[in-house]
Amino acid sequence: MLIAPALLFSGAFFFLPMALSLLWSFTDYNGLQPFTWAGLANYTDLLSDPVFLRACWNTVVFGVVTMTIGPLLGLLSALMLNQRIPARAFFRAVYFVPVTTSLVVVSTMWKMLLNDQGLLNKLIVAVGLQPHDWLSDPGTALYAVSAASIWQGFGFETVVFLAALQSLPSELYDASAVDGAGPIHQFWHITLPGLRPTMVFVYVVGIIGAFQAFDQVFVMTQGGPINSTTTVVYYLVQRFQALDLGHASATAYLLVLTLGLLSFIQLRLGKRFA
Amino acid sequence: MSRTSRPSPWRVALITILVVSCVVTLAPFAWTIATSLKRPEDVFAPGSGLIPHPATLAGYRDVFTLVPFGHYLRNSVVVSIAIVGCNVLFDTAAAYAFAKLEFPGKSVLFGLLLVTLMVPMQVNLIPLYRIMVELHGVSPHLGANTLSGVILPSAVQVFGIFLMRQFFASIPDSILEAARIDGAGELTILRRIVFPLAAPGIATLTIFTFLSAWNDFLWPLIVGGTDASRTLPVGLALLARKNTINWPDTMAGAVITALPMIVIFVAMQRRFIEGLTAGSGKDIQ
Repeated sequence: MLIAPALLFSGAFFFLPMALSLLWSFTDYNGLQPFTWAGLANYTDLLSDPVFLRACWNTVVFGVVTMTIGPLLGLLSALMLNQRIPARAFFRAVYFVPVTTSLVVVSTMWKMLLNDQGLLNKLIVAVGLQPHDWLSDPGTALYAVSAASIWQGFGFETVVFLAALQSLPSELYDASAVDGAGPIHQFWHITLPGLRPTMVFVYVVGIIGAFQAFDQVFVMTQGGPINSTTTVVYYLVQRFQALDLGHASATAYLLVLTLGLLSFIQLRLGKRFA
Repeated sequence: MSRTSRPSPWRVALITILVVSCVVTLAPFAWTIATSLKRPEDVFAPGSGLIPHPATLAGYRDVFTLVPFGHYLRNSVVVSIAIVGCNVLFDTAAAYAFAKLEFPGKSVLFGLLLVTLMVPMQVNLIPLYRIMVELHGVSPHLGANTLSGVILPSAVQVFGIFLMRQFFASIPDSILEAARIDGAGELTILRRIVFPLAAPGIATLTIFTFLSAWNDFLWPLIVGGTDASRTLPVGLALLARKNTINWPDTMAGAVITALPMIVIFVAMQRRFIEGLTAGSGKDIQ
C-alpha cells in the first residue's frame, strides 16, 4: 500500500516517541534505571525553577524582538522592491542568501563579528564610540543573539511579502487613485488589509521557529552569561544531557501546549480580521 | 506612475537604501571568507582589513587534517541525499494515495498526519534518542551514532505529503480514469502519468528537503556522539564552541558548510524561493 511507509515512519518516529515523552513527563526516569511515578511533580518543579522561568522569559523576549523587527524589515524591503527599480531579482536573491545558510554557520559568523575585538567593535571605534563586549554582557547577549537571527531570517519575510504585494489587484489602487487617495491612505486601506493572510502565515511560522531557538544559543553563548540567553529548548537539552528525562519531557510538553495555544489564537485572530 | 527622465530624489534614496542593505547582508560573508584566509594572529589585529595579508590556506588544510571535515562532508552528502530520496519516494506515494484513491479510514489517517505538523520535533527528541539506542542494540549499523540514526526520523516529512497532495489535486481524474479503462495498473499510472505531471512539485520537494537536511543541527547533534555520524553543522558547532577558538580554521569550516547550499541557490534561485516559501499561499513571481 502506498501510504504504508508514511504511516510506519510517523508511527515509529513520531507517535511512539510522543507517547513515551508524555509518559516520562510524569516520572523520574533517568534513562538507566526503571522509573517511579512522580505525578505532576516535574511540572510543579519547573514552574518554581528560576532557571526554567528565566528560559521562558528569554524565549518570549527573543520571540518578541525577532518577530517585531524581522517582519518589519521584511515588509519594508518588500515595499521597496515592489517599486519600479532596476535589478529587483538581484536584490531579492541577495536578501535570501542568509535564509539558505545553516543557522550554525550564521551563528559562527556572528560570534566572530560580535567578538570584543570583532568587526562591529572596529566600526564602532572608527566612528569614535566605546566598544562593547556584546556576547559577554548579560544585558546585551540575548539581543546580540536576536540580531544574528533577524539577519538570517528577514530575507524569507521579504520574499513572502513581496509575492503577496505583487498579487494584490492593481485595479484597487487605480480606483482609489481616481478617488484622490494618496500613497499613505492606500497603504493603510488596501495594502495592509490585503497582506493579512500573509501576516498570519509569517507569524505562525515565525513564532513556532522562535520558540524552538537553540542553534544560535548553543554556538554563540551556550546559554550564558548567567543564563541570560538560555532558551526553553536549550534548557530542555541541558536537562536531557543531565539525564533528567522527567523534567526534560515535562519541558517538551509545556512547549507543545504553549505553541498549540499560540497557533490557535493566531489562526482565530487571522479569521476574525479576514 | 509617470516619472521624468531625471531620477527623482525619492528614487535615488530608495536605491541607495537597497544597495546599503545589500552590503549589510553580504558583508558578514565577505568577512568570513577573508578570515578563513588569514593567519590566527592577524584575525583581530588592529590593522587587519578585508584583504588577508599574508593570505594562507592553512585554515582549510587544518579542518581537513586536524579535524575530520572531509568525513563530516561525506556524512552530510550521504544523509542529505538519502533523506531527499526517501521523501521523494514515500511522500509522493502517500500524497498520491490521499489525493486520488479511496480507502477506508482515509480522513482519519490524514488527520493523524496533520497532528504531526503541529508538534515541534524537540518534543520527541529524548524518546527518539532512546529508540535509536535500542535500534543500535539490534544492529550496529542502525540507530544512535550511525548515519541511519540521522536519516530515519526525517525519511518521511508530513509537510512533503501536503505539498505533493496539492500538486496531485490539480491532475484531472479523467486522465487517470482513461488509463484505468485501458487496463493500466496503479503503479503504471503512478510511473507513467502521475510522476511526470508532478515533476515541478517533486523539484520543489527535493530542494526543500535537501536544504533542511543539509542545515539540520539539533537532531544530528543529539543522535551522534562520535565523528562516525557527525554532519558539517555539528562539526562546525564543536569548533565554534571551543574555549580558545582558532578563527581561520572555524571560518574555513563555515565556508565549507555554507558554500554548497549557496552555489545550489544561485544556480536554481527561482525553484529555491518557491520551495522555501511553499505554503504561504502566494505564487512567487
